[in-house]
Formats: sequence, structure tokens, C-alpha cells
Amino acid sequence: MKLLAAIAALASIATATACGSAGTESSGQGGIYTTIDGSKQINASAPINPFNPVGSVFDGYNGMALAWPKNDPIDPNQFYPAIARSWDVSPDQSAVVIHLQPDARWSDGKPVTSEDVRVSIGLAYTQGGTAYAIDPKAAGAAASIQVVDPKTIRITQGANKSNMFLSNLLSTDIVPAHVFGQLLPADFWQKLKVAQTGKGPAADRDKNVITGLADKVIAFSPPHDVSAGPFVLERVNPGAALLTRNPYFYDRRLIVPDKVEMLNYSGNEQIWNYLIAGKLDNAPFTSVPSAVLDRIRQVRGSKVISGFSPVSTSLAFNQAHKPYDNVHVRRALAYLINRAQVTKIASPEGGTASETTSGIHAAAAKVWLGQAFNGLDPYRLDPAKAAAELKAAGMTRRGGKWALPDGKPWTVQIHVPAAFSDWVSAAKSISSQLTDHGIDATVVTSADYTLYLTELAAGKYDVGFWLMGLGPSPYNIFQRLFGQANGWQMFGGRLEHVAPGTQGNWMGGPEKVAVAGPDGTTTVDPGELTSRLGYASQDEQKKIVAVLARTANQQLPVIQLWDYVNTQFVNTSRYTGFPPDDDQSLRLSSGVWMQLGMIRKRQA
Amino acid sequence: MTRAVRERPQGAAIARRVAGHIGRGLVMIWVVATISFFIIREIPGDPVQGMYETLLQKGMSPDQAERATAVLYGFLPTGSLWHQYVDYMWSLLHLDLGQSLSTPGVKVTSLIGSAAQWTVLPVLAGTLLSFLLGVTMGVYAAIKRSGKLGDLLALSGSLLHGVPVYVIGLLLTAIFTTLWPILPAGGPVDVAYVPGFNAGYIGSLVYHAVLPVATYTLASYGGWILAMKSNVVAVLGDDFILAAELRGLRRGFVFRYLARNAILPLFTILALSIGMLFGGSIFIEEIFNYPGLGLLLVNSISTRDYALMGGAFLVITVGIVVANIVADLLYTAIDPRVRSGETA
Repeated sequence: MKLLAAIAALASIATATACGSAGTESSGQGGIYTTIDGSKQINASAPINPFNPVGSVFDGYNGMALAWPKNDPIDPNQFYPAIARSWDVSPDQSAVVIHLQPDARWSDGKPVTSEDVRVSIGLAYTQGGTAYAIDPKAAGAAASIQVVDPKTIRITQGANKSNMFLSNLLSTDIVPAHVFGQLLPADFWQKLKVAQTGKGPAADRDKNVITGLADKVIAFSPPHDVSAGPFVLERVNPGAALLTRNPYFYDRRLIVPDKVEMLNYSGNEQIWNYLIAGKLDNAPFTSVPSAVLDRIRQVRGSKVISGFSPVSTSLAFNQAHKPYDNVHVRRALAYLINRAQVTKIASPEGGTASETTSGIHAAAAKVWLGQAFNGLDPYRLDPAKAAAELKAAGMTRRGGKWALPDGKPWTVQIHVPAAFSDWVSAAKSISSQLTDHGIDATVVTSADYTLYLTELAAGKYDVGFWLMGLGPSPYNIFQRLFGQANGWQMFGGRLEHVAPGTQGNWMGGPEKVAVAGPDGTTTVDPGELTSRLGYASQDEQKKIVAVLARTANQQLPVIQLWDYVNTQFVNTSRYTGFPPDDDQSLRLSSGVWMQLGMIRKRQA
Repeated sequence: MTRAVRERPQGAAIARRVAGHIGRGLVMIWVVATISFFIIREIPGDPVQGMYETLLQKGMSPDQAERATAVLYGFLPTGSLWHQYVDYMWSLLHLDLGQSLSTPGVKVTSLIGSAAQWTVLPVLAGTLLSFLLGVTMGVYAAIKRSGKLGDLLALSGSLLHGVPVYVIGLLLTAIFTTLWPILPAGGPVDVAYVPGFNAGYIGSLVYHAVLPVATYTLASYGGWILAMKSNVVAVLGDDFILAAELRGLRRGFVFRYLARNAILPLFTILALSIGMLFGGSIFIEEIFNYPGLGLLLVNSISTRDYALMGGAFLVITVGIVVANIVADLLYTAIDPRVRSGETA
């Protein structure tokens, strides 16, 4: 017992010490801003390297891109300046001239120059990706990088143009050439030129040399952080990262906090607990049960900011499986699902019930389609219409239950990953609603999301949940409905439609469909139209989006259930000046908000 | 001279025994490593696609998500399964567990080394605390078994023994981090403290370890108290206790006889339970966001990080095998009956 008492006393002393301030490095008047990076978990073993997916580099704090994307509903090329103060784009988007911030400096005092941008682009080539594909035929790949002067750089686009070129270019992470430059061999740019424009074994060899650098670049671990952002990484442990203000940041007068503490989390419950304890100044949105949300709202200073989030959730069909190959069956199910009720149960704060199925988040759809949005079938709850559709599909009703045309019983199996509580709740609600209308329905959960996606892609499910409407780029939006998952794939720069059940085609829709429009019914190839969205002019994009929205609405490869709302938690008891609802900076980190001059210390 | 002659065969026997244990342990580790290698490779799920869709779910744009996940392709295992197995075993012989997929560019041994410290210390502290507490309370519960205190102690043991470890963890979290927020909700140490041998840093380590250690303690306390009470009651009826009492030995001596004989079987369980608690760490570390081997294993499974999964399984297996060997040797050392049986 004496031993226990001694241990308890030691723990008490330690606790008291920990609650005090011994050993801490004091912060000044600006205080410590506490937040969470929702995009990744903190990994103390990872290097301070933005090319490493879990590296200790946090966007907007010690990680800087050329510019930060605005949350525009339809234009992916709207950006806030960052390392790039401004940029000029040629009318055909073939060349972009970037003007760097004149006062930008690294945290070691060295100026940020065009050479830093050039090296960063060189390193990005080793990783591949859209703007920096070595294959010159790749859409939207950069063709040349020319340093004009220490603060100006010109980048041209290859012959196969893409509307996403500017967006991908401005999203480039910028690293210091005097730290990362050693990773590129001296003849890197010559090798790149040969790899891009040459032919035969020499080109293949140089291509392999460049892509072979990927591992080295990812694993590179600088001894300490050299940042051009408003903060520099001071230290990181498995539970949190601590960042200190960068005295050389080009707009340092806008940055208020002395330090930023980035907390790690392994589950949503920890974020809830931090919020209830009032510990976080800002947290990314996580699914929150109503009871927990009420408790968070009661915390002093707690506020919820919401805005546009270009993501929707849908119930997707495998059209290679009967009876879901029949559009009447899909429409019948759409008429039987009360989406408002589903959303209220599944995502009361984080979503709004879809007004219809267009393939696009409603906020973006209204801009893209204008009045035509109201012309889409809203698929409101209508059991009579559903019954008519089921009869048109040859389904029969016996003893109050709908059966397949051959008389066999019909059960709708809705698949969902177990870890997504909102999807599970939605699936249960849909199952219950269908059962009430005489359709047997069950919910089948998968152990985790990775397994779910694999089985979905393998065509094992009849019906499952699917993310869609991933804007703002219209190409990305319709890729989710008429892309690889539905059979359309690029082979050597040519678009082809593969057979259902092969190469990831689990939606199994037809290659061409008849779509009714203002000028009558026409036959369209939705995948081909989607592909054109990548390079079409804005006027042409509008026309294509209108056709594809009608296609999605009439053919229903999915039933759009709810559109997500970007909901963020903030606490105003220490800092104020957070962005208002629907602000275009809402999807960016607090670090970017600070760069935009938003976060202010609360006055006592 | 006679003593030296007697010691040599005894020493040789112990060496043989230890060598046997180590040999069997190595075979066991090889068997588990082989089985886990093949099971892990058979787990369905594409790690790159999984990470891509997860990033989309978190609100990242498709282009950003593609950039973030494209690099992972370079870390996927290639070649036939048999070829991968031979490579894996060869690397294992060189204590190389490969490269992590979820933390590209970082060696699995480095990740495991960092995580192990956050599991070993709380597990040891929790196990020893629960052992001390459980054994002490078990003796009291046995001696006072016909009184209210004995009933109460036995009841506390039965109740706690039946509650799953994750329920205890969640309850402690709810009570001490939200209802009565006096302890941290997660993490191993406050990053504001400069790491090193200073009071603030060490105090913060202890402060953050209170809830995980308390969970380990409460989770196994029930088992100790019930086992100890049962052993003490059994020993109380033995002839040597009766003889000691009849000879008029002081109560302290009788108590020592009692405790020493009753506690013997528990030492074996103690060593084993340290190994088994590594399994429990999966729940506890997830709940408290404590960056140990359990959390590493959970994360590696969800990201299908084959190398890391294999490494984490292996380390936990080695922990349990070593605990078994230690238990067996410990029993030999502390129980004279086993020793004499061995040399006979």
C-alpha cells in the first residue's frame, strides 16, 4: 500500500507539473492557435517534405503552393495569391507567366526565387501527375519552364491542352532549391527533354531515370524545416506538431498567433472531445451525432461555419445486374426514397437533401444549368409513379411484395462500408422506406472502406453508396458517373468503353443512351462528352454539362441522395475574424485564412 | 568440489532448457511470420484506391487526391507471391522489415521502434499496477471473505473482469476528458514541452499516460483479484498452514507462507499477461490516440500497408513468445518443486 501511495504521490506531482508551465517555451502576445489537419494524421517519423504524403508539412502554415484554390462552384481556376503574387494566362491557356511575391523569403532568410519554382517543378516531374506528366501526349502537361528573371517564370502547356492546366500549375508545392535541389541530377533538364521529346531506348532510359527518382524524393528528410509560409515547424511528436511564426514571411504583419499547435487524431471521437473541452480554435468537419453536436454548441465561443462543398452522396447501381439494368426499376426506386428523411437521419448538419439527380451538387448545378435545372425530374416521393415504373419493368406484386418479372422474390441489397456512420444510417433509412413500400431491402456492411471499394469495383454489389459531384471542374464531376467506374477509359490517348465487369467497370451502363431534350430525343455517348469537358471552351462546357445532367437525371446511373455542406467548427474565445458562411476560403486551412488577414486575437 | 560437480550438470540443464525454449520460440516466430505474410497478402483491398477515395471523402479535390496517392504505386509489392515471401524472409533474417506504404520512404523498423516505446511502458506500468493492486486486494478479499469488505472486493473484481477493455477506456474518456475534464483527451505528450530530462516534459508524459495506464490497470485488475482470492482460499486449507498455526507461529509468518504459495501460479500469468496486453493495446491506443504498436497496427490494416502490418504482427508475436519463455523460466526459478523435478 505504501508503494501505491508513493506512485500516486509521484503521479500527482507529475500531473501538477504538467499542468503548470515548466519546460514550455513561452509564447508572446499572439498566443498559440490550436487546430487539426483533417487531411492527414501526424506522423513523427515522416520527413519534413511536401512530396511525402504524410510529411510534416501543413498547407498554409509551413507548406506553400504558388496559389490557393477558391471554393468557386464552377470555376477551378479561381485562386488566391500565395508564393505567386499574380499570373498572366494567354487566351488559349498555352502559356502562364507567374510573378512571385517580391518580398518572399525562406525562414533562413534567403529570398524565394524563380529557381525555387523551377526545382519544385522538376521534383514534381519525378512524382508524375497531371501538369507534370513526362508523356507529352498527356492532357494538360507542361511543355517548357523558362526562368525569365529571379521573380518571374514562364511555363507553357503541351499540345494536348486541358482546362485544368492553370489549376494544377498553381497548386504546385514550392520547396527551397538550396535544400531540395541536390535531389535532381545536374543533367536533369536535358534528360527531361529527351524523355519528353525523344524516341526509342534513349527516351525510355531517361524517363526511367526521372521516375526512378520518386522514392528518393519522397524519402528525403531535411534536417530542419525551411519554410516560405507564415510558420516553421519547430518540433513534432506523435501527438502534435508545433509551428512557430516565420519572421521572414512576406506578409508577416497579417499573422497574429505566435505559434500553431496541430493536434493529431485517430478517430472522430477525439475531435468531438477536443471541441467539447474548448481546446480547438478550428477543426475540420466530422460526422457528429446530434447529441454531441448540441454539447459542442454549448461550449463558450463555439461556432459552426458552413459553406459550399462540391461533393454529393449517391446510391449507385450495378447495371450489369438484374433488375437494375432496367431504367424503370431505377426510377421506381428514386420515386420511393424520401431523400429529405434520409438526410435528416444520416447527415442533418453536414448535408442538404438533393433537389434532384443531376450528377452535380445543387449549388453548382444551378449555376451551370440556370433555368434548365428546374426542368429536371425532381423524383419526389410518389408511390403511384413508382408502381407504374415497376409495372413497366415487368415486375409483379404478390401478397403486397414486389417480385421480379419471372416471379422470383426481389431483395434490394444495399452495400455500405461499416466505418461510415452517415452512410450506414442512410442505408438503413432507405431499406426501411423500401420495405414500407413492398420492396424487400437489406443493408450489408463491409469491414472497411478499402475492402468496400475493391468489392464494388469487382462488381460484387448490386447497389452501393458512391461519392459524386466532385467539383468544381465539370470533367471531375461527370468522371464519377461516366468515367472509369462506368467503362470509359483512355488507352494511348484514345477513349474506349470496356465491357461491364472488366477493368473497374462496375456500373455497367450502356455506351450510348437516348436522352430527351428541348430539341427532341438524341443518342449520346456520355463518356465521350465527359472526356471533352477536359478541354472544351466554357460555352461548349455549358452545353455538354446540360446534356450530361439530363442524361444523369433520365438514366439514373445513381440516385443523388444529399449534397454535402462544408461545416467547420471554430471557437471565438481566443481568436476572432474567422471567414463568414459561404466564404470562398472555407475549404482552405486556418493558415491560409491567416495569410488572407482573417484571424485576429480576441480583445479582452 | 562436491558443490562444483553438482552445479555443472544443473547449469548445463538450465542452458539446455533455455536453448530449447529459444529454439522453439524461433520456430514459432517463423511459423507466425509465414502465416501472417500469406494472410496479409490475401486481404482484399487496393491501398491506393482506398487512400484516394478517403481523401475525396475528406473534401480533397480529385486532382489533389491523385497527386497525393500516385506516389504510393512505387511502394506496392511486386513479383510472384513466392518471390515476395523469399525476399521477405531474407530481409527478416537481416532484421529488415521493408518500407512502409502508408509512410512512404520510412523503414518499418523505424516506425515500429518509435511506436514500441509508447506501448511497452504503459503496458508494463498498467500490468504491474494491476498485479500489485489485484494481489493485495485478493489476499484481503480471501481473509475477509465472510465479511462485507471481502464481498465488496470480490464483487469489484467480478464486475471489472466482465467489462471489455474498450468500454473501460471509453468510460474513462467520457468521465475525465469531457464530464470532468482534468485529463488530456489524447496524445502522448504536450508538444509545447521541450523533449528531454526536464520536469515539465516528464510530467506531461505521466499526465498523458494516466488514462491509458488506468485502463490497462482496471482491465486486468479483476482477473488478479479473483485469481489471488481463489488461490489464497485454497492455500488456507492446506496442512502446512494448519501446522504453522498449531505451532503458534506469528500471524506475519503465516501470512508470508500463505502469500508465497498462493502467488506462485500468478507469476506465470503475469508474464503471459504482459504479452497479451499488447493485443489490448489496439483498443486502448485507438481510444486515447496513443501512438503505440496497437494504433500502428490498426492504421496499417486500414491502409493495407502490408510491410507494416507484417512488422507489427511480428513484434507482437515476438512479445508473446518472449513472455512465454520468461514465464517458464521464472516459474523454474521461483518454484523449488519444478527445479527439483528438472534436476532429478
